[in-house]
Amino acid sequence: MVKISDIKVGDVIKNEFEGITRELLRAYAKASGDTNPIHTNDEIAIRAGLKGVIGHGLFSFGFITKLFEDFLEHGKYGKLIETDVEMRGMVRCGDLLITKGEVTKIEGKRVSFNVNQTTFTNIEIKDNRGNIVRQFEAGERGYISEKDIERGLVKTKEVPEGILSYRERVSTPGSAIIELYE
Amino acid sequence: MDDEQIKKNAEFLINNLAGKEVPGRVKFNVRYKTLVDFAKIYGITDSKYVGSEEEGIIACHAFANNFTIKALYKLLLGMKLVQNGEERPFVKNPGKLLHMGQKYNWDGCVELKQGDKLNITAKWGKVWLIEKNMMLLAEFHVEVKNQDGEMVVRPVVTAGIRSGGY
Repeated sequence: MVKISDIKVGDVIKNEFEGITRELLRAYAKASGDTNPIHTNDEIAIRAGLKGVIGHGLFSFGFITKLFEDFLEHGKYGKLIETDVEMRGMVRCGDLLITKGEVTKIEGKRVSFNVNQTTFTNIEIKDNRGNIVRQFEAGERGYISEKDIERGLVKTKEVPEGILSYRERVSTPGSAIIELYE
Repeated sequence: MDDEQIKKNAEFLINNLAGKEVPGRVKFNVRYKTLVDFAKIYGITDSKYVGSEEEGIIACHAFANNFTIKALYKLLLGMKLVQNGEERPFVKNPGKLLHMGQKYNWDGCVELKQGDKLNITAKWGKVWLIEKNMMLLAEFHVEVKNQDGEMVVRPVVTAGIRSGGY
């Protein structure tokens, strides 16, 4: 049960989604009617200078409303009043998309959140001699820009196969307001 | 298009669009199958959103994405502007158009249900120029009402047009 008395500033809710595939983007294009081929056809996306298909901005946005629908157990404990986001970064197939809401204000039964969607894009894994042992789509297609490197968005971490390079980038910052019943 | 012309076009749009109604309206029928297909994209399994047609379902919040941009495109396509005696569209080069932001407000709104017939209207909000890169930004305040005139959602869409696209 979600009650206003149980919520405090700084509380965080989040969801993670790692299933962004070309098949899902095609399904979204069909369901949403947004059939711009830069989301579904690699050749056209490459001709548009994108190096490969990109997710629809509003496709990833849907995970923000889902975060709050899940939190409120689909209207059982309250309702979603507002979401407000900036479309900043492209989301790609294979990305891990993490959607987070952090409570910033509580007024009566209304709770305000800072919302952030962050994408984690795997690039490659190198062994301890610097040889690439696995390359991901971002590495193969060159999704990572010089700007990403300059901004310090490209990071590394140890994984069982070696050292993984990945990009961590905020794609959709914003805010949301919910209203609880109790 | 030279910088002088780009600046003149930006001034024309800022002075002529901010706060004005976008003429016309778009009608949109909400079908059961579309609601279900859309909810399934997000793995939603709650019967409120994906239950049987006989019992009736409502739209998940993300469904507002399904009609807002399409309706806005239709409204803008039908809008003719006259600059210096010549007809021009709002966006001269759609390839320079960017979707910059999306806000939805459901405060006091009713749920969107299968079978609803939506009426969608819009007006221009702020229109402004970022001089650093000559990007023109425009806000669209959209109203979505059902067949009974009840408000379903109030979207605000922010579009950006890169230099040369307006």
